[in-house]
Amino acid sequence: MNVTRRAQQWIGRSLSMEDALPTQMPTYVNSVVYLFGALTLAALGMLIATGVIIAIFGPGWWHVSRVGHFVNSLHFWSAQTFFLGVLLHMIGKFFMAAWRGGRWPTWAVGMITLGIAVFSGLTGFILQANWDSQWIAGQAKDAMNALGVGPIVNTMNTGQMLTLHVAVLPLFVVCLVGIHLLIVRHEGPVRPIGSEERDS
Amino acid sequence: MSARSEANLRGVPMKPYDLLREGLVVIAVVSVVIVLLAAVFGSPDYPPLTAQEVARKQPVAYLKLVTEYLAGTSDLQTYGPPYTKNPENAQRLFGIAPANVLGVAIPIDARQDFVLKPLAELAVIRPTVKDALGQFQTAADSVRASWIKNYSAALDSAHVVDQSVQLPAGHYGPVPVLMDGMLDVARAGFMEGALDAGSRQPYALDNTKALLFLQGDVESQVAGALDMQGGQWGISHETGNYPGAWWLWPYTFLYQVPVIGNSPNADALAGAIVGLFFVLLLFLPLIPGLNRLPQALKVYRVIWRDWYREHPGS
Repeated sequence: MNVTRRAQQWIGRSLSMEDALPTQMPTYVNSVVYLFGALTLAALGMLIATGVIIAIFGPGWWHVSRVGHFVNSLHFWSAQTFFLGVLLHMIGKFFMAAWRGGRWPTWAVGMITLGIAVFSGLTGFILQANWDSQWIAGQAKDAMNALGVGPIVNTMNTGQMLTLHVAVLPLFVVCLVGIHLLIVRHEGPVRPIGSEERDS
Repeated sequence: MSARSEANLRGVPMKPYDLLREGLVVIAVVSVVIVLLAAVFGSPDYPPLTAQEVARKQPVAYLKLVTEYLAGTSDLQTYGPPYTKNPENAQRLFGIAPANVLGVAIPIDARQDFVLKPLAELAVIRPTVKDALGQFQTAADSVRASWIKNYSAALDSAHVVDQSVQLPAGHYGPVPVLMDGMLDVARAGFMEGALDAGSRQPYALDNTKALLFLQGDVESQVAGALDMQGGQWGISHETGNYPGAWWLWPYTFLYQVPVIGNSPNADALAGAIVGLFFVLLLFLPLIPGLNRLPQALKVYRVIWRDWYREHPGS
């Protein structure tokens, strides 16, 4: 068995170039609700770009540099926009019952991505190295300890929070968003409710 | 198209579309909005609370905190896992204490770590502290307890004169010298460094001890003044008029419910409820009844209103 050929065939069957980079869409894809996913992706892109700049100069940079503070502000508002986009996207997909036609895995990957993104946001707030992070780290540690995961995720271990925030969690988020997008494009946009017999 | 897409879109009228152009337009608009928000509103950066600030502005409160650690009466010293051997104090869910599973994985001996070790470092350069520490450590437990009790009670009637904390005459043994030393370490700005210093000096990537040091009443007072306590929606907003982690509102809301917020197991309860809510959302498409909710709410008819207008039989 040629594994590479099998992989080529599977990819060819699963995702054509027209799926990946579509030049046509069903006419029912005609609502502002369809833009919320793109809004989230754009904000994620800004989050990563500004996060990389902060990572290059180090976590203390933005406290001592006006440029650094501005980049931190961009990162802060990108996070706000990202979570606004995620929330709107999720609500929109709920009202569309977008899980119909066997699309639960798409919904599930999105939800897991949201869960990891929330945790990533928490580590980001903890890394601010100011009063907010001091207070949030202290409060969050009680929650972690109460649930028995305090020794594994110590919100007062700044080094651990840093590596989680700039490496581990973004890696998970980006990979899951990629999987989410691939599944979405593989399946095509869910049809309007009542427009097909396979609604379930 | 993939076979799956083909099957899904069979018979559906299509329209021209340009994914990359639409994506670039969205990126451009979102970027401009974020740049404007950052330029106009900036981001919060309220400085952290330090032992130096507390020792300078509220020396008596600082000394009360340190005396509690020396006496072993602070909440932290009976917190339970992962810090202390008090499994009875771990938060519980249906009688089960998850924190007890991993046990004391981050041991904190507040008397040693927060008081006696910093004093031992100060003793190297200050002979009076060295002598006082020697006297304190060689005294009988009952004598030490008596000194600390007397000193702690005297703090209630202490006066601050020219940055010096003055107590009424009493039997405090060497405790005032030790506490004045702790005050000086903090006022000089050395406290957090002394707390974080570990076997990997000069590297201090773990701030657990320094962050735990001011926990309790001192930090709670600051948080209360800034509307950031649990009963004030806690960690879901930042200082000033900035939107914080508003997406945690469902979580912080639980602390506003008296039966949860006032419970000794509040964190465990809130965490478990949020966890259950997440699982419910994760599996919502598979739960009969709940997965038909959108059909009942009919908001989809607004989202796809053009389609339904053109295809009234759908």
